[in-house]
Amino acid sequence: MQTRTVIKTLSELPTAPTTIGTMVWNQTGDWRYLTPLVADKLAPCAQHCPAGIPIPRHLGAVTRGDIEGGLALLLAYNPLPGLTGRLCYHPCQTKCVRRRIDRTISIQEMERFLGDLATDVTIEKSERTDQRVTIIGSGPLGLSCAFYLGCQGYRVAVLEPSDQAGGALVGLSPGKIEPTVLSHEINRLIRLADIRLETGANIGVAKPGEPPAQADLVILDPTGLSEEFCAPSGAVACDPFAAGSVIGSVVSVQLPKNLTPFKVPMIAHYIAAGRLLAKKASDGLRRKGLEQPAMDRSPLAVSTESIRIERFPAAEMRDKQKETWDREGAMQEAERCLSCGTCNLCLKCVSFCPDASIRPEGRNVTVEVDLDHCKGCGICAYECPRGVITMEDISV
Amino acid sequence: MKAVMMGTEAATMAVKLARVQVVSAYPITPQTVIVESLADIIGRGELKAKYLPVESEHTAMSSCMGASMAGARTFTATSSQGLAYMHEMLHFTAGERVPVVMVNCNRAMAPPWNLYCDHTDSLSQRDTGWIQYYCVDAQDVLDSILIAYAVAEQALLPVMINLDAFYLTHTSEPLDVPDQETVDLFLPPYRALNKLDVDDPKTFSIVCGADLFSSIKYKRQGDTLAVARLWDQVAERYNRHFNRLHPTVEAYRTEDADLCIIGIGTATGTMRLAVDRLREEGLKIGSLRLAMIRPFPREVLQRAIAKVKHVIVIDRDVSFGAEGIVAQEVKAGFFDRRGELRITGFVAGVGGNDMTVDTIIPMVRQAISGDGTAVEAGMSLWAEVLP
Repeated sequence: MQTRTVIKTLSELPTAPTTIGTMVWNQTGDWRYLTPLVADKLAPCAQHCPAGIPIPRHLGAVTRGDIEGGLALLLAYNPLPGLTGRLCYHPCQTKCVRRRIDRTISIQEMERFLGDLATDVTIEKSERTDQRVTIIGSGPLGLSCAFYLGCQGYRVAVLEPSDQAGGALVGLSPGKIEPTVLSHEINRLIRLADIRLETGANIGVAKPGEPPAQADLVILDPTGLSEEFCAPSGAVACDPFAAGSVIGSVVSVQLPKNLTPFKVPMIAHYIAAGRLLAKKASDGLRRKGLEQPAMDRSPLAVSTESIRIERFPAAEMRDKQKETWDREGAMQEAERCLSCGTCNLCLKCVSFCPDASIRPEGRNVTVEVDLDHCKGCGICAYECPRGVITMEDISV
Repeated sequence: MKAVMMGTEAATMAVKLARVQVVSAYPITPQTVIVESLADIIGRGELKAKYLPVESEHTAMSSCMGASMAGARTFTATSSQGLAYMHEMLHFTAGERVPVVMVNCNRAMAPPWNLYCDHTDSLSQRDTGWIQYYCVDAQDVLDSILIAYAVAEQALLPVMINLDAFYLTHTSEPLDVPDQETVDLFLPPYRALNKLDVDDPKTFSIVCGADLFSSIKYKRQGDTLAVARLWDQVAERYNRHFNRLHPTVEAYRTEDADLCIIGIGTATGTMRLAVDRLREEGLKIGSLRLAMIRPFPREVLQRAIAKVKHVIVIDRDVSFGAEGIVAQEVKAGFFDRRGELRITGFVAGVGGNDMTVDTIIPMVRQAISGDGTAVEAGMSLWAEVLP
């Protein structure tokens, strides 16, 4: 309660020119026109990842020493980490906040390390359905799409006309990528998602109006087929990045101009395209299969909860790992991550708030703002090293 | 414990013995030794304090004020230009009634650039409300800093301890270092009664209208004036613990003197030698050291040289357009006796001119006879000036 004290004698005056009583009653919050919003956000590295990988999450797992858990989290967004870890142009690292402090986190190196792990994980898949998807061509887009559809329980077959899987990635110089790495990555992908991969498949030339394979949905992978391959006349074009859903039973993938022809450093874009296409295909198949018992599928391709770690050696990769870090080295590198976008209670905001209006909240997992007294100066948002606090206009 | 220390090292030792909790400072010659050695001992864990390497003296003083408001015992050190840069915050700390203790190493104000001894830097900050004490030797530095904390925390006023550049800051002298247990008895931890507390927020440095403004300032004036007596009381208590007395005014052979030389800082030691020499010639002369300039110890000064007829003030500083600042202060202090007391002011020893017995004696002779090499400028006579 605000009480008014009238000072009548010199002895009643405080020594220092301060208020005599508490100033809690003075709710300076109504001076505020911008409000600090404390909310977890996407880290800058993740914002700029072409495959949209929430990078601090798997780095966090590695920091805790849960290296296989880190791989599982990574696989949920990127089923070919060993390839992106070698080929991607890693825009994540140029946006790394740590770069302003000392040097960027070696995000790409970490991907490569996790991809090359001599252990593996399994993914708990959705209930198996009878619906079949055939993907023609085994490039990164097709494999990625196959992975997410396989994880959702569809019966997926990948037909590769040549003798070696990998599509546009086959035949790259060993300096860029070694054949053992490619086969390791593909083997893991098909094993995890329970995909049937057929190399040397006779896909022939389909007759007009006839699908090139027997399936509920056929997808033609532009990163897996040679340019000479002509889409059958019944194929319907679909851009994974554009709005709209999959129509018809044969899909010819139409990529944006910057992704055609295939560019190796943009591999993460093709992986993302595969994931988005899997989502569209899944929606289309669900509509098609309405007469069948309803399947409750997460709109996300793979939920991270469904990933279970199971250790079994992938023998051919053991030597590869020696080229990067040992487990300790990986943990040390991951530990440098500031986990941008996620409050980790560093309490810099609390130290800097001139009005003590931001404090750790009750559960002690983040901070909360005392809106009765916060004047909206924005120092907390400026100081927050992880970008968790932003100043927002919430008057409207 | 006996030790040989420079004035700057004695200051560092005093800060350590006082168990200061926050040090915030910016280096400047000749004070740099203090902040460097404090950073060292804090870094080594010998003093459990927070060291703030700030970007300017203005921030050094601001952060000392903030830390002091939060209840910490704080220290900073600076010199000349740095002190000038603190000016705004000097008013603030005194007005906010926080017991910050600062060492200022008296160095000439630029331009022209000069690193040597001159008192204009601190004396031109007289009116900021700080208690000002001028040391004579390294022992005085060590002891007066400990006394300063006791005085500052009782009076809730900041104290500036002044050291003559190089004559005191960089001269090694033997001194006695008190033991920590006795210092702890003399100087218990600082307990702020009214402090910054996020759980009981108060407004500090309030906005205040005309209704209370003069009352607040009047109260501060009373409290500041009382420090002259408080210092001598605390110094007496210090004397009981350590057997060394550091009063606000130190008179030497003034009992029967007709003539008295007055000064501040290290030169007052040399003045005593000059007094001894002149006494051999039969001159009834004494000397007086004003250790404290703010508050001005008027009563003690008047008592100490009540019978003197002629006072010579030697200033290592000048207030342009007036005269030496100490001379002005002494004149104001003896206004009651203006008819019977002659006061001669010299400006000498500025910018590193050595003040020796051989420079002091001719000034005394000129003050008596009117003949000498010092040239007139307004009310004061300037030594060491080109003809």
